[in-house]
Amino acid sequence: MSTTIIEVGEAPVELTLRQKWSHYFVIIYAILAIIIGVNLRDSAVFATVPYSNPQVGITAFYPHRWMIDSSGDYVFRVRDMAQTGFKTAMQVNIIPVNSDMTTRNILETLILNRSQTDSTFRVLSQEPIQLADNTEATRMTSTFVASNEDPFLESIPTVVERMDVIAVQGGQAIIISFLSDALTFEQNYPKFEQFLNDVDF
Amino acid sequence: MMLTSKARLFATSWLMLVVLLITSGVPAAAQTSLDVERIQRATVLVMQTRIIGSSPIITCVGSGTIVSRDGLILTNAHHSLSGANCSGDTLIISLNIRPGEPPVARYQAEVVQANPGLDLALLRITRQVDGRLIDRASLALPFVEIGDSAGVGLDDTITVVGYPGIGNDPIVFERGTISGFAAEPSGGDRSWIKTSASITGTMSGGGAYNQNGLLIGIPTTAPLTPNPATGNCISVQDSNADGLINTNDVCIPTGGFINLLRPSAFVRPLLQAAQLDISISFPLERVISTTATIPTARPRFRYLGFSPSVNPAGMPTTIIRSLPTGSNSLYLFFDYENMTPETVYELRVNTNGIPNPNFSVSPVRWSGGSRGLWYVGSSGQPFPNGNYEFTLFIDGIAGDSARLVIGGGPDEGAAFSDIVFGLLDSAGNVTGTGFVLPTGNTASARFLYRNMTPGGSWAAIWYYEGQEVQRTDDGTVWAESDGASGTKTISIQSVNGLLPGSYRLELYIEGRLAAVSDFTLAGGQDGSFARIFNNTHFTTASTVQEALSAAPISSFSAGTSPIFAMFNWQLIGPGTLWRIEWSVDNQLFFSQTQPWSGAPTGSNFLMQIASPAGLPDGTYRLDLFVGQIQFDTAQFRVGIGQLPIDRFASAEGIALRGQVLNSVSRDGIQGVSVMLISEDYSVADFTRDWNQAQLIATATTDRNGRFEVNVPLQRGALYSIVLLAEGFLPITADGVEITDENHPDNSPIDITLELTPE
Repeated sequence: MSTTIIEVGEAPVELTLRQKWSHYFVIIYAILAIIIGVNLRDSAVFATVPYSNPQVGITAFYPHRWMIDSSGDYVFRVRDMAQTGFKTAMQVNIIPVNSDMTTRNILETLILNRSQTDSTFRVLSQEPIQLADNTEATRMTSTFVASNEDPFLESIPTVVERMDVIAVQGGQAIIISFLSDALTFEQNYPKFEQFLNDVDF
Repeated sequence: MMLTSKARLFATSWLMLVVLLITSGVPAAAQTSLDVERIQRATVLVMQTRIIGSSPIITCVGSGTIVSRDGLILTNAHHSLSGANCSGDTLIISLNIRPGEPPVARYQAEVVQANPGLDLALLRITRQVDGRLIDRASLALPFVEIGDSAGVGLDDTITVVGYPGIGNDPIVFERGTISGFAAEPSGGDRSWIKTSASITGTMSGGGAYNQNGLLIGIPTTAPLTPNPATGNCISVQDSNADGLINTNDVCIPTGGFINLLRPSAFVRPLLQAAQLDISISFPLERVISTTATIPTARPRFRYLGFSPSVNPAGMPTTIIRSLPTGSNSLYLFFDYENMTPETVYELRVNTNGIPNPNFSVSPVRWSGGSRGLWYVGSSGQPFPNGNYEFTLFIDGIAGDSARLVIGGGPDEGAAFSDIVFGLLDSAGNVTGTGFVLPTGNTASARFLYRNMTPGGSWAAIWYYEGQEVQRTDDGTVWAESDGASGTKTISIQSVNGLLPGSYRLELYIEGRLAAVSDFTLAGGQDGSFARIFNNTHFTTASTVQEALSAAPISSFSAGTSPIFAMFNWQLIGPGTLWRIEWSVDNQLFFSQTQPWSGAPTGSNFLMQIASPAGLPDGTYRLDLFVGQIQFDTAQFRVGIGQLPIDRFASAEGIALRGQVLNSVSRDGIQGVSVMLISEDYSVADFTRDWNQAQLIATATTDRNGRFEVNVPLQRGALYSIVLLAEGFLPITADGVEITDENHPDNSPIDITLELTPE
């Protein structure tokens, strides 16, 4: 014996104009919400804090909620303390130069110093660049291996990628550095790009 | 990462938890003030190495103790400085990473301060073990504090910590008591602390702690020349690359058992100089007229004698033949020649034929000059009756010995004692400083005598630089007019003037040495006092030549370096021992005694005091001594004239460590930032400014989620904590306090915290 199922449904009802507009508004609101959300996220992620040091003539904007430190042998350094593992950092150093020094001399000094302090230090590239304000500069990319300074902890070393932008101006060399876990370097780089665009010396 | 309202709410809920966890921390060493873990971590193995072929070869091994958070290590000089028995040039520092395990090589260090005679050295960690430079400011190592060694007494319980082997053994804690004190001219009655603790040779350089966990002594012994045949060294590497490890390879000296601790009082000047990063160099100008000679003849001891006491100049008050029952002080005196700072000497004492470790001195470096009168003894320690034999060893070889009977009543025989020197005034009294006299035609000595017999023979013999120069003419027979007891004055004279230098007077009764004392003639006459040094002043200049002509300055601006010190001198004989002392804010940081090797008279003896970062603010004083007498002093100020306060100088407090777990997976979270905010700021302050200056310490969790805050926490202080990790809700807490109620002892606090994924 065979069974036949007959489905009985309501006849399709055409949406009213009001209903149609309601749907359209929902979609528009959703799109607007997404756009606002993205903007809010961007403004949160790329929010900055002003930094000014009249003594050395530097102004900059660094990422909001990064920890600032000016007690080291740099003008200042900011670090993303929320980053797990190696703390992404940006720092500004100033070293005196004389008229006989070239950018090449400064690079050599940096390389020599870092080879003394950074484990497995290696230079990846050096190239001339132009900053946003048309200042001529040199960019050096290098890597080294960083590990927790506490000898009593079991910390696995991290490969760190470092980018230095060196510009010579007014008898001094400004070295703006960006350090990040090599695995997240590209992801973090836009913040440094923004920092670099905003810095004024 | 933003602290949202949700996060704040969450954080608030964690506040009580954090406090609760702190209060429930498990003490690692309950109810003891000896912080075992901190001492373990601060105790290091020091390996001296050198490259042979292409391999690092260990040449010497000892223990050491970290005494500052930026990596100063206190240890012995003999295994740190390169020398005949330890010929390496690189110091490798191994840390005790985990309790019960052998140490692990982590750093390289350099000697920054050393005193070979005291056998003390301070090393500074300068490199990673692979040779990379270390910024000392980045170091935050566990360290111990130096205690007051003058405060310890007989039978006090101490704990000696060090490595008992040459690298394969974990740290040992040996408990013992203080069994006595050994006296030497280098440090007075407490030149050494003797202990009953069982200490092996490689623990030399480690630490001895009182019951409050403060370092009060450094176990010290000097290894003899390595000789595989005697078993005093071990070969562990194929240094000659012949495929075998045998007696032809470098043999690491291991030393014997130790019963001596160098008191921590001797460490303070070295530590002060190292912490201030001050170096002193002298002489900078050509004041040298005679080259200091390094003895090449074999070192030797002779003329051993005993005295029950020592005068302030380090001379025996009298020479005795026996000691009465109940005596608690005895000094063995002897002449020494051709000694060097690397000479190892030892005293073995037998009582009734049985070795007596209580009064023996284990092998130690020589801390005197090359020639003179020395003593070793002890006071405040009862000597049981018996027949004592004292034998001196030089570099492991037995030398002269002397016997003394202790027991019975006091010696009622004739005796001389208490010699003092000076110039005779018009009334016939001996005046002056006692043992340093101005040069002239006459020097006089006054001494006590008792139980003398008229007609008995006696003699007074004067020596200059070891050569007899005069015998007392009427000294062959004791005059009846002098009586049995009293005071007698004798003199040495020369019509051409007595030469400046070192003199000795020996007094004999019936051919037996009854009293002996050295004195020094130096300087011009200023009444009955000597005027040896004068016009001490300071200046600053960029070169030595400029310094010589620069105007004197007594107040320098902050950060000045170098500063030059100059003084004039007159009539100092070659070989005369003189001492330079530098102190800052009345804290001694440099003391050096050396034989005079310059012209007898001159001007502008030039010294330099310098620091790479500029001399710290403070009031600096230079004192110049001959013997125990200060002959000139001058001081200058730098900056505000007061040393800056080092907020990290104290190791006291409670260590905070713990583990951060993922609340869902229960796994440790790697890379979490743990930030401890100072008392002056709250979490709200910090999360507004995000300024590192508001933090006391930061820590990052390791692969197991473990962290350690490297600044000790103080009781009663209110701390704030922030924990941050991307992908997790943060934890913050204000008002975290350690009280006697929630943590009664000083053991580390170990907390577990959980982070919730966002």
